[in-house]
Amino acid sequence: MSASIYAIIGVLFASILGAAGALFLKFGSDRLRFNFWSLLRNRFLYLGVLFYGLSTLMFIPMLRYGELSLLYPVASTTYIWVILLSSIVLKERIGKHKIAGICAIILGIIFLSIGN
Amino acid sequence: MTKTQPWAIALILMSTLLNATAQILYKLGADKFAFDIYSLATNYYVVAGLITYAVSAAIMIVALRYGELSLLYPIIATGYIWVTIATVYLLNESFNVYKLIGILMIIAGVSLIGLGSKERKSIPEGAA
Repeated sequence: MSASIYAIIGVLFASILGAAGALFLKFGSDRLRFNFWSLLRNRFLYLGVLFYGLSTLMFIPMLRYGELSLLYPVASTTYIWVILLSSIVLKERIGKHKIAGICAIILGIIFLSIGN
Repeated sequence: MTKTQPWAIALILMSTLLNATAQILYKLGADKFAFDIYSLATNYYVVAGLITYAVSAAIMIVALRYGELSLLYPIIATGYIWVTIATVYLLNESFNVYKLIGILMIIAGVSLIGLGSKERKSIPEGAA
């Protein structure tokens, strides 16, 4: 598994963008009303989709400078950023179970990358 | 803080299943890939993949409304499990101990997160 440091930083940044996108989607979802006009004016949904798109667009070129087997686990840090954002911005309670769970998930993704 | 409804978890799981399906469809369509609009538009696998992905995203967005982000978002990681199972059975990729451990760890992780979201009793034992 190898990757240039730029690829790793790039993927980390893309992961943060993705986490921000998830946060915006959560905001947009909370304000969701099931009528056409409201959907059209839901700014957070747009922001969420935009950030998710940017995150994906950033990730793909990074694959030229690093192996998928390393960059995929780096991308999984998105789960860490989401937990952080949920705690700080959404004031959700993050206990030791959630932290342990995230660690297990990231380890799992690392193992899957090795297995591929 | 939104108390997470159980069916929000079910919705997210459904969303991840659809997402994994979309990825398999992309992979199938990648064989016939050509970089022109006509070819892409008639690449049924890619088109089906995009539609499936859009539906999965819509379901996920709705699900987020009915639960905590820190509980629902990690469930998306189960998508890795579905894709791994699908590529092994449908695309004949190899299955090995690393993939097995990876799947088990993701299951463990998601379960732990679910455990961590159980609301504690607000009334202490013994209160009148």
